[in-house]
Amino acid sequence: MFSRFGDASRDFALFDEFRRRMDRVWEDMDPSWSASPSNAGTHASSAWPRVNLYDAGSNLVLKADVPGLSEKDVQVTLTESGVSLAGERKVAPPPGYSAHRQERTHFSFSRSLTLPCKVNPEQTQASVKNGVLTVTLAKAPEAQPRQIAVQAH
Amino acid sequence: MANQTDLVNRSNGRIEAVQEREAIAPFVDVYENVDELLLLVDVPGATNDGIDVQLDKGQLTILAKRHEDAAGSLLAGEYRACDYLRVFAVPQGIDPSKIDAQLSGGILRLRLPKSESVKPRRIEVKQG
Repeated sequence: MFSRFGDASRDFALFDEFRRRMDRVWEDMDPSWSASPSNAGTHASSAWPRVNLYDAGSNLVLKADVPGLSEKDVQVTLTESGVSLAGERKVAPPPGYSAHRQERTHFSFSRSLTLPCKVNPEQTQASVKNGVLTVTLAKAPEAQPRQIAVQAH
Repeated sequence: MANQTDLVNRSNGRIEAVQEREAIAPFVDVYENVDELLLLVDVPGATNDGIDVQLDKGQLTILAKRHEDAAGSLLAGEYRACDYLRVFAVPQGIDPSKIDAQLSGGILRLRLPKSESVKPRRIEVKQG
């Protein structure tokens, strides 16, 4: 009797899947299309994990969704102009249970991203909270925003 | 596709959603054992106060709101703060008062204990 575990909003998920595939077609034609911030979110890239990059004045902040991963499972490697994320998610069914539906899959990923400016490797911090990886990268001194005093003559 | 800077001339034929914030379907695992159903839902970025689980008329609604976590101006984006929503038809015999939800590391664990009446019961055979 417990086999009738249905998903009531599955019809709409079909539309989502269709949209995702169409987005991928667009993306293949023009990679810049999905990268522009105005398209963020609605047209997600197929790469995993999905990453947002923010400019917070003196820092660059990188956020990535990594549900189920702890600090130990993620490796953040910094090079001079880029950052790479690597990690693995293992999904093991809890012992003693039978599975009805398994959508959460095993993931092994490695992504390299080019950063828009040089960063200071000494002051880089990474943390995982609520399944979101946050990497704070301090901009190199020459890339820091600088206030220019306007002088009166 | 043009950016929506023009407020007067909307591109025709596009239906507008009531809410700007979109809800996506998160990945869900469903497990079962003798005592309970166990659901694991990927909800990265959601916090305890944003999670709403309801069981009503055999429909289990899982809604998790994600916090707006902008850390500055966006340079490149692949996702946007969104809500997670899934609705399941749950079989009879679940005790709604004993549903337990736990959130850790971006994964929501939902335990739906079966009520006593539907649990399998072993009948002992007595000597005649």
